[in-house]
Amino acid sequence: MRNFEFFEPTTVEEASSLLAQYNGKARLLAGGTDLIIGMKARTEMPEYVISLENIPGLDGITYDEGSGLRVGAMTKMRALETDAIIRDRYTALAEGAAEVGSIQIRHLATLGGNIGHASPAADAAAALLVLDAQVQIGSADGQRTVPIDALFTGPGTTVLEPGEIITAFEFPPRPANSGSQYLKQKIREVMDLAFVGVASAVTLNDGAVENTRIGLAAVAPTPIRATEAEGIINRYHPVTKEILEQAAEAASAQSRPISDLRCSAEYRRQIVGVLTRRTVQTAINRAQS
Amino acid sequence: MSEYSVVGKSVPRVDALDKVTGAAQYGADVHRPGMLYGKIVRSKHPHAYIRGIDTSEAEKLPGVRAIVTQADVKTGRSVFATDKVLYVGEPIAAVAATDPDIAEEAAELVKIDYEELPVVQDVLEAIKPSTPRLHNDDTKDGPARRVIKARLKKLSDDESQDHSAEIEELTAKFESLEDEVYYNISAETHTEAGDVEKGFAESDIVVEDTYVVPRVHQTYMEPHVSIAEADSSGKVTVWASTQGPFAIRSGVAGTLGIPLTQINVIPTTMGGGFGGRFGVALTHVPAVLLSQKTGRPVRVQMTREEEFVDGRPAPGCVIKLKTGATNDGRILARQALAFWDSGSVSGASIGSTIRVRGVYKIPNLKVDAYGVYTNKSGTTAYRAPGTPQVAYAGESQLDEIARKIGMDGVEFRLKNMREEGDQIPAGAKEPKVGYKETLKAVADAAGWWNREKGPNQGWGVAIGDWTNGCGPGGIYISVHEDGSVRIFHGSIDITGTDTAIAQIVAEVLTVPYEQVTITRGDTDSAPYATGSGGSVVTFTMGNTAKLAAEDTCQRILALAAERLNTSADNLELKDGKVSVLVQDPPRSISLGELAAYSLSTTGGPIVGKGSFARKPSTPALAAQIAKVEVDPETGNVRVLKMVSSQDVGFAINPMAVEGQIEGGTVQGYAWAMMEEMQYDEKGNVNPGFVDYRVPTSADLPTVQSVIVEVPAPNGPFGAKGVGEPPITPTLATMANAVVDAIGVRITELPIKPEKVIDALKQNGK
Repeated sequence: MRNFEFFEPTTVEEASSLLAQYNGKARLLAGGTDLIIGMKARTEMPEYVISLENIPGLDGITYDEGSGLRVGAMTKMRALETDAIIRDRYTALAEGAAEVGSIQIRHLATLGGNIGHASPAADAAAALLVLDAQVQIGSADGQRTVPIDALFTGPGTTVLEPGEIITAFEFPPRPANSGSQYLKQKIREVMDLAFVGVASAVTLNDGAVENTRIGLAAVAPTPIRATEAEGIINRYHPVTKEILEQAAEAASAQSRPISDLRCSAEYRRQIVGVLTRRTVQTAINRAQS
Repeated sequence: MSEYSVVGKSVPRVDALDKVTGAAQYGADVHRPGMLYGKIVRSKHPHAYIRGIDTSEAEKLPGVRAIVTQADVKTGRSVFATDKVLYVGEPIAAVAATDPDIAEEAAELVKIDYEELPVVQDVLEAIKPSTPRLHNDDTKDGPARRVIKARLKKLSDDESQDHSAEIEELTAKFESLEDEVYYNISAETHTEAGDVEKGFAESDIVVEDTYVVPRVHQTYMEPHVSIAEADSSGKVTVWASTQGPFAIRSGVAGTLGIPLTQINVIPTTMGGGFGGRFGVALTHVPAVLLSQKTGRPVRVQMTREEEFVDGRPAPGCVIKLKTGATNDGRILARQALAFWDSGSVSGASIGSTIRVRGVYKIPNLKVDAYGVYTNKSGTTAYRAPGTPQVAYAGESQLDEIARKIGMDGVEFRLKNMREEGDQIPAGAKEPKVGYKETLKAVADAAGWWNREKGPNQGWGVAIGDWTNGCGPGGIYISVHEDGSVRIFHGSIDITGTDTAIAQIVAEVLTVPYEQVTITRGDTDSAPYATGSGGSVVTFTMGNTAKLAAEDTCQRILALAAERLNTSADNLELKDGKVSVLVQDPPRSISLGELAAYSLSTTGGPIVGKGSFARKPSTPALAAQIAKVEVDPETGNVRVLKMVSSQDVGFAINPMAVEGQIEGGTVQGYAWAMMEEMQYDEKGNVNPGFVDYRVPTSADLPTVQSVIVEVPAPNGPFGAKGVGEPPITPTLATMANAVVDAIGVRITELPIKPEKVIDALKQNGK
């Protein structure tokens, strides 16, 4: 690991100023489960590391029937995975969080880090896409909000400006007749990276499926929504096997996977279809129960 | 009911407390005052000429104490690459610095000027004439050319008649077999028994296929590490986490020209080895060189990535296999042509190709095996070296034949298994081994005979054989005044072998197991002990321990005879005390009392020794049955049941034996389903645990172990080595179960989900 200077600011403004001052040479430290590994492997060699650990208010889950769910950026994956409200109403998020690394890793890894790292394969990203997350961004100049669909710009890149820091994620309230699921294609049962990740969320209105959201991970340069497939599910009532199949094909077609050492693009496309069908069906089942 | 009181019992391991509390000292726990940190400078190219090595920038970095290259190796033995590199990760130099980060930085500052060469990673490509050649070797002939060549020699040697016409015809044929001129061959081995052509001609069914097994890493938890300390007199001390301290001593001595007794190897607790922790090249030699140059202790410790690029993993191989059988299920002939990927140096387990004969009565057998150079690191042993690969091919093909002739897989194997006294193809006569007992035991335990399966489910059976090694060893035993017994030896504990040694000594000396403790010496103090590999330790050191304990008994009885004023043959050692057999009134003396007495006699303290060389080992069999379920849409394979039986001779510690069976089975499962070192023209592309997957406990149900005991005549209490056999069948067990589930055979491991989907598509499903 190369030497670096370490800061522990106590306000977002202070952290933001440091980040802006050392723009390009500084990295934010949240859980450290990506950054520290990169620094040890010398693929990351920041001259300045700014810890977010001592900034009050960045960690925590709050829920209000009226305003919905707020998750601080420093909230640990393990907390998301075990939170009763998230498991019940925002199930795909709990399931996405539960797929990150091992339990030990999830006690360190944060939602803000997972999303800010902007990996196309981030397990929580697909869930955020389908649960309509709004990303709270803070800086020395104030606050702004970006919808999750507009956050990612490419592998490892986001719309964040120099000095900007993700502070929280806000989710609209989810009614009891809603359901969601995240599924991940992997070889190893636990502690594997997503070959493909798919999250789906639906709301039922008088038995009809609406507000369908389908999020895909690891099949494009950024996590993406399968909007064509969403439209198909929303358009038809009831959602038959054939409709699910059509949606699966549409999601497959909308994905833009690559071939790499893990698997081929063709296989990824097929899995997008399979997991789209399975997650939409499960989301509907969960909304009904 | 066992006739024994300590052996055959699942007593806790002698090292259990140290391991679970973290007290055990591994290589990386060793710190020496003033210690420097070494880092290896490694090739960034898989195949290139080195046009220059410039260390000047690195030398200027504050904190750098020394840089060594091949020029520092006075013996001229190859330690670092000089004019050519053959794989990514090949050592070119080594740096020592006051801090690991500085050493890392300095290693990056060493400038290497490369001239890149074409790369070859695939063995079937490497043997072709057009490929780059790694070494200036002669070409070798393939099997058909070898047959013609032998015939030609016979004809030309025969002067009784004129063979010129046939010679001319055969010569033309010989020369036309151009694709049987193999390049980049590192080694070859050929074995023949009977006449395979005749055997195939007589067969009702002949199956032929090509099986591909990937290169896999031993993935021991502790990466290679060495701490070397050369003092001003030239004496070198090496702290090594190794399977064989005496091999490290002779290896360092030979490589660097240091007198044997000027090197002391102090073994640390070993964080796993599986065959990969015998060599000196990876860390020991560079650490000694750096310490000699700086006069300070130096630690060289590999990262996990370095383990993948410059470890010595198990070789991958391509096996072309052909088997012929009759419709009633008799195997008549088998022919194998194997190409082993030995990487940049020779040394792949090509000798194990003969194990493709299995434990079957195959009257006609022909095996041709070649080691092939590629631009990868060299290979070494991994748990039953070479055998999982060939057993995968052999047992897969038997499964195919059983399916084709409509015979049950277990019945088919039972029908062809050798029995005591049978001829081993290209070998001696079969001794008594529990082949059939072991296979029947696994079938019974797994519920094979009335097995049921749901949709997309399948059952697979396979077996694998192995014979433990044997080597020299010595042990001392002391008995103390409190009656406790201390064992002193120099062999490395490998998952419970110290426990087995302690149990054997306790049994012979009739003392409680808890009263026996072990001290491990270093190579200066301990008697020689063979390396802890090849399932050798319980067999060799167990025999040594038994001899040492028996020697101790003699001394005890002699002392007791003196003390109790009778003859030694009128005494019995039982329950930790010596009693007079025929005497009134009965008299006895405890071991502690005797030990105290020994200090005041002219005889001196109670010391026993055992020294053992070699005795023939007996083969062992492992048999497994798996039940799997395949997701036909994703290709994921889930194991529902895994049962693993093994003829262990005699289980000195049944729980430790079960641990070995479970561990081997899981490693075999991993090789079948996920492990694979992947290479392209840039070298190893998955050098870490993210994309080199080893399973976790979530991937398998509990492995059900079944112990079969057919005693080995020369084993201590009948024991055989148990560590290696359980990995041998599993590759085929899994492959056969997947076939049963999806109806298609995947002949290239690992059976990743995508391959299952491709196979299903090819089969029109």
